[in-house]
Amino acid sequence: MPFKPCAASGTGCLRQTRVLKAESFRLAALFALLFLVLTGALMVTILWIVDGAQRTALIAANEADVTTVQNGFRDEGLDEAVEVVRQRLGTPTDTPMRRHSLPPGAYMAIENSRRDVLAGNLAAVDCQPGVFKLVLPPATGHHHRRTVLGRCADLSGGVTVFVGRDTAGLDMTRERIMNAFAWIALGTCAFAGLFGLFLGWRFMGRVDAITDTCERVIAGRLNERIPLGERGDEWDRLARAINEMLDRISALLENLKQVSSDVAHDLRTPLTRLRNRLEEARSRSGNMKDYSNAMARAIDDTDQVISLFGAVLRISQIESGSRIQTFAPICLTDLLEKIYELYLPVAEDCGHPLSRRLQAGVYMQGDEELLTQMFSNLVENSIRHTPQGANLLIELASVDGLAVASVIDDGPGVPPEERDKVLRRFYRLSTSRSTEGHGLGLSLVAAIAQLHGSRVELSDANPGLQVKVAFPQGSPAQLPA
Amino acid sequence: MRLLLVEDDLELAQSLVERFGEHDYHVTHAHDGIRGLNAALGQDFHAIILDWMLPGLDGLELVKAVRREKATPVIYLTTMSGIDDRVRGLEAGGDDYLVKPFAFAELLARIRAMTRRAAPAVTTLCAGSIELDLVRRLVTRHGHFVDLLPQEFKLLEYLMRNVNRAVTRKMLLEHVWDIHFDPHTSVVESHVSRLRTRLNAGCDIDAIQTVRGVGYRLLAPN
Repeated sequence: MPFKPCAASGTGCLRQTRVLKAESFRLAALFALLFLVLTGALMVTILWIVDGAQRTALIAANEADVTTVQNGFRDEGLDEAVEVVRQRLGTPTDTPMRRHSLPPGAYMAIENSRRDVLAGNLAAVDCQPGVFKLVLPPATGHHHRRTVLGRCADLSGGVTVFVGRDTAGLDMTRERIMNAFAWIALGTCAFAGLFGLFLGWRFMGRVDAITDTCERVIAGRLNERIPLGERGDEWDRLARAINEMLDRISALLENLKQVSSDVAHDLRTPLTRLRNRLEEARSRSGNMKDYSNAMARAIDDTDQVISLFGAVLRISQIESGSRIQTFAPICLTDLLEKIYELYLPVAEDCGHPLSRRLQAGVYMQGDEELLTQMFSNLVENSIRHTPQGANLLIELASVDGLAVASVIDDGPGVPPEERDKVLRRFYRLSTSRSTEGHGLGLSLVAAIAQLHGSRVELSDANPGLQVKVAFPQGSPAQLPA
Repeated sequence: MRLLLVEDDLELAQSLVERFGEHDYHVTHAHDGIRGLNAALGQDFHAIILDWMLPGLDGLELVKAVRREKATPVIYLTTMSGIDDRVRGLEAGGDDYLVKPFAFAELLARIRAMTRRAAPAVTTLCAGSIELDLVRRLVTRHGHFVDLLPQEFKLLEYLMRNVNRAVTRKMLLEHVWDIHFDPHTSVVESHVSRLRTRLNAGCDIDAIQTVRGVGYRLLAPN
């Protein structure tokens, strides 16, 4: 796959605008807007409630004054009513009764039928039914017109009384509430903006770290990894996952490189042999028998190339992991017994006494065909790479919930420093170079073990080699009857 | 014997037609899936040799279509060597599976095994002096009891079912041990050698003939 060249990384100057575009900033702005809308709704509600309450109180106060005047008129006549008004306005004729006087902003007037004001602090009023609004010219020394809320009451014989109160208090309260809310809204916006910028800046920092690393990897520096923070937050989790993915990819890539160069190399050997043999047959063979022998050997060489290809293909198929989907419960005891019976004659013929020590009823989840091939390879390895007379043992035991299977021989063993290497593809011990084979047997074993969630362990059998694979043990519950 | 070969590689097809001809097989060749299906449904063959990846109609689909009408034995001859491919091919209705590249002797042996007359459901197999009782799991030669291990019994049973026909090591591995990979040791040879020893004890004639480059054949003079 062609690599895309790295994009020019002059990103510093763009960082400011990118912060504004960042998702976190947008989110903060959205939340600020939402908060403003909710605050506005709350403000309107409070205004409505407070205004209503104040208005009710004002009307009630007016009503009380009206009642006092009415009572005076009913009990003692017009003069008393006028007197009450005068008292309330703080202009008493005889006894000063300051505590009865009206607060500032309150207005009263009592008029006779000819609309003469008998007492009061405002001119004749055009009475309207119920509570009504009265606009007065500005008081001396003021610019604002006064708005008064009040009502008229008929006393008797055309005499009316008006009681009203200035609504300036209501307006002031409303204004105060709105001011307070305006400040809060302004503060919220400023805070949300700053918070969004801060979040965006933090966010961009982490995103940039990841993006920069990815760009360097794209540019071919496969060893680059994203630096991890100390908090172990979600960013670190993401970074760790990406790093692990990069590890896996570079391992696969390394593997692929290794395999392709190995295949290229290991194919040359049998192909060279094949070519030489054919040339030799053409120039030297004198009769049909020579030809026929040369051909037979050429076919063998071809088969070796084919088997090499097949093995490489099979390993990569197993490593892809798709086979896991067809895993089924397997009786490992039966499988190893079958392997034992299969290899007993050939082991004996090769001078290797083969024995087994199998625990009964050990089950696992797995792929029977692959596991059969895996243990076949291990047994064949022991048969082929140990000197005549070496004893072979197939062992199976259940240990701590693990099904532990081993193939053990008392041959020369594998030196500790070589044990990891023999699992690699095409690796062959110098001692086994002379025997036929392509060095893929143990890689196949390792791939099958890995597919089954296990790994191959090579250890010293004192003397000899023990190859051990431990599988998670399963139950026979789902085994078909 | 009439065979149908559905194969888009003309060179390979030509060579197979000639070589089967040498063994008295008459091969009809179809070079794509559609022609192959028409031939398979229109005429009667003893067996069909089928490539998997075919122009026109995929081999798997071809088998499914044939199976709806006929029971002609089918062997796949394919480069599809994936682990699951054999299972998929056989599940679709194929009877045998051979991965390319292959030895002609292997293909011939498999065709011969496939086209043998379907044995009636018997409880005893006979081949010359050998008698094999499938129910009591007993073998006698010239009336003398031959003591065999279970695997040797299965091996002999397969050889007897293909009496006088060569069977390859691969076929034995697949049918007797259910093993579908190539072992690197002479597993089959060792088993056959033991069977031979037990079977020939006290006899002058070797019942099992080794066919060079192919495998083994159980001989039963008629």
